[in-house]
Amino acid sequence: MSAAAGRGGVTLQGAVKRHGELTVLHGIDLDIRPGEFFVLLGPSGSGKTTTLRVLAGLESISAGRVLMDGEDVTERDPGDRDVAMVFQSYALYPHMTVAQNIGFPLKMLGRPADQVAQAVTAAAQRVSIDHLLARRPGQLSGGQQQRVALARAIVRQPRLFLLDEPLSNLDARLRLETRVELKKLQRTLGVTTVYVTHDQEEAMTLADRIAVFMEGRIVQVGTPAEVFGRPTHAAVAGFIGTPPMNLLDGTWQGDAVAVDGGGRMAVGVHSAAPRAVRLGVRPGDLRLVAADGVPAEVELVEELGDSRIAVLHAGAQRLKLKSAEALPLAEGQAVHLAAEPRHTHLFDRASGERLN
Amino acid sequence: MRHPGRGPGALARRLALAAVAGLLLSVWAFPVLWALLTSFKSERDVLAYPPVWWFKPTLEHYREVLFGASSILPNLWSSVVVASVTTAGTMLLALPAAYAIARLRYPGRRASGFYVLATQMLPPVGLVIPYYLALQKAGALDTYGGMVLIYLTFSLPFAIWLMVSYFEDVPPEMEEAALLDHAGRLGAFWHVVLPQVRGGIAVTTVFVFLNAWNEFLFAVVLGGNRVRTVTVAMFNFISVEQTLWAKLAAGAMVAMAPVILIGLLAQRHIVKGLTVGAVKGGGRR
Repeated sequence: MSAAAGRGGVTLQGAVKRHGELTVLHGIDLDIRPGEFFVLLGPSGSGKTTTLRVLAGLESISAGRVLMDGEDVTERDPGDRDVAMVFQSYALYPHMTVAQNIGFPLKMLGRPADQVAQAVTAAAQRVSIDHLLARRPGQLSGGQQQRVALARAIVRQPRLFLLDEPLSNLDARLRLETRVELKKLQRTLGVTTVYVTHDQEEAMTLADRIAVFMEGRIVQVGTPAEVFGRPTHAAVAGFIGTPPMNLLDGTWQGDAVAVDGGGRMAVGVHSAAPRAVRLGVRPGDLRLVAADGVPAEVELVEELGDSRIAVLHAGAQRLKLKSAEALPLAEGQAVHLAAEPRHTHLFDRASGERLN
Repeated sequence: MRHPGRGPGALARRLALAAVAGLLLSVWAFPVLWALLTSFKSERDVLAYPPVWWFKPTLEHYREVLFGASSILPNLWSSVVVASVTTAGTMLLALPAAYAIARLRYPGRRASGFYVLATQMLPPVGLVIPYYLALQKAGALDTYGGMVLIYLTFSLPFAIWLMVSYFEDVPPEMEEAALLDHAGRLGAFWHVVLPQVRGGIAVTTVFVFLNAWNEFLFAVVLGGNRVRTVTVAMFNFISVEQTLWAKLAAGAMVAMAPVILIGLLAQRHIVKGLTVGAVKGGGRR
């Protein structure tokens, strides 16, 4: 993070976005540190892309402030914020060559032609497309177009990169490769990066920190390990992980939760009064036990090669168990499930807030 | 093994297609060819019945309409001025207007789009008299300014309406990228949006020019001795005493020449522009 020491801090304060009657963002607060790789994660329609566009200046906000490096840029035009964006569709200029595409922002800034040419070559080399400079976007593959869009973003060394699902139009293999390169590129350049995705695996692998969006609100901000290991809200728990966390309705009293439909699970924390909760256990933390625990019935077993997932139901509630070992289970078989108390998560049934 | 597009069956198909195409084409081509023949005939041969196919061609009518007493060269010039100025003015105003309707959100946007289209639905005959009176009051009858102004009233809505669909087909992210690339609104319009609608501009320009060039009704009523376009001049070959068919045909050929030339030059753009509009027009939003 050499070049960008101290540059590129971004703060959103109470950002509200309304489209007529509809409120898209209900007061977003964010504090993104200089040089950070920050991911906005959430299902579609959760407000993550709108938030990115607010940072870009492409959307105005109905209330709140946008600060960059301590300066209020809320009313500033996109071109005056010193930010670069890579669009999901790449948004290359089809009538220009690759070199002209990459050099366009510098040309608009009025830089002399030789300086532009130099910067274009350097940026193109960074993303290994310097042999394509004379082509037009229409003659490139999807992966190459994506690199051109990246080069156009890095060429002018902005204080902030905004990436809107940049990998979603690539095929699976290329997506994995590009993901690694993207992370390395960001590390070398040290530029603050805000990255929007609905793919939690992408978020986990790329992010220094993640903000999880649900219905126009941020429900949790934290490192990938925090968001995975200690979700602060049932919605986050049910969204993160492959497969995501099992959530069982039950009643918490004493040191255990009595699951609706039968069975108990020890949670290691105490509640004097009975309380309606959702009990969360990661599929990988569930174990098969001989007796007690939560009785369930096997629906089917999915073989994934290096692991297998058993789909089960306990009463009317469905849950999944993930195991690295072989699962000698038959469909319709009755089993008993348990988990270490330290691997259990408790959420309030009504509000979804974490309780333990 | 049979390849598609080969063998006797395919040949028959192609012949049939060519025959149908030829038939359809001849409906359009026959009057033009007939006028072309007529323009080389003597006035006596023109009226011969049955029509004579073999005759002694003469260039006399061309000499007459170009350099004779009833030369239409001044009228051609009038047409060039009226059509060119109308086209330039139309495009200059229509491009930003169409872009605004296609992109910007402002109150009354839908209404203004409808208004533009509604002006195209009025029968021009109904407007001739009010236009005449208005120009008369303004002292602009038989002037280039007056004529161009009236031509703008119908060419501008047409051009706007045509260009809006082309602008709507430009992905908004492309402009947003340009905005972030420091281009500003005008720069984004100029460097990024306009190049995407080149084909549409070519098509619209050609149509606007041709409409203005071929216009007759307003030209005959609102023009006069000073501004007499070529369509009106040709009309004057038809008089109460006699109709000079051969001269009229020669005049028509001369008047048609620039139109055909433009058509040939812009052919590629027009075909492409029309098919793009047909496939994408209005479907996107």
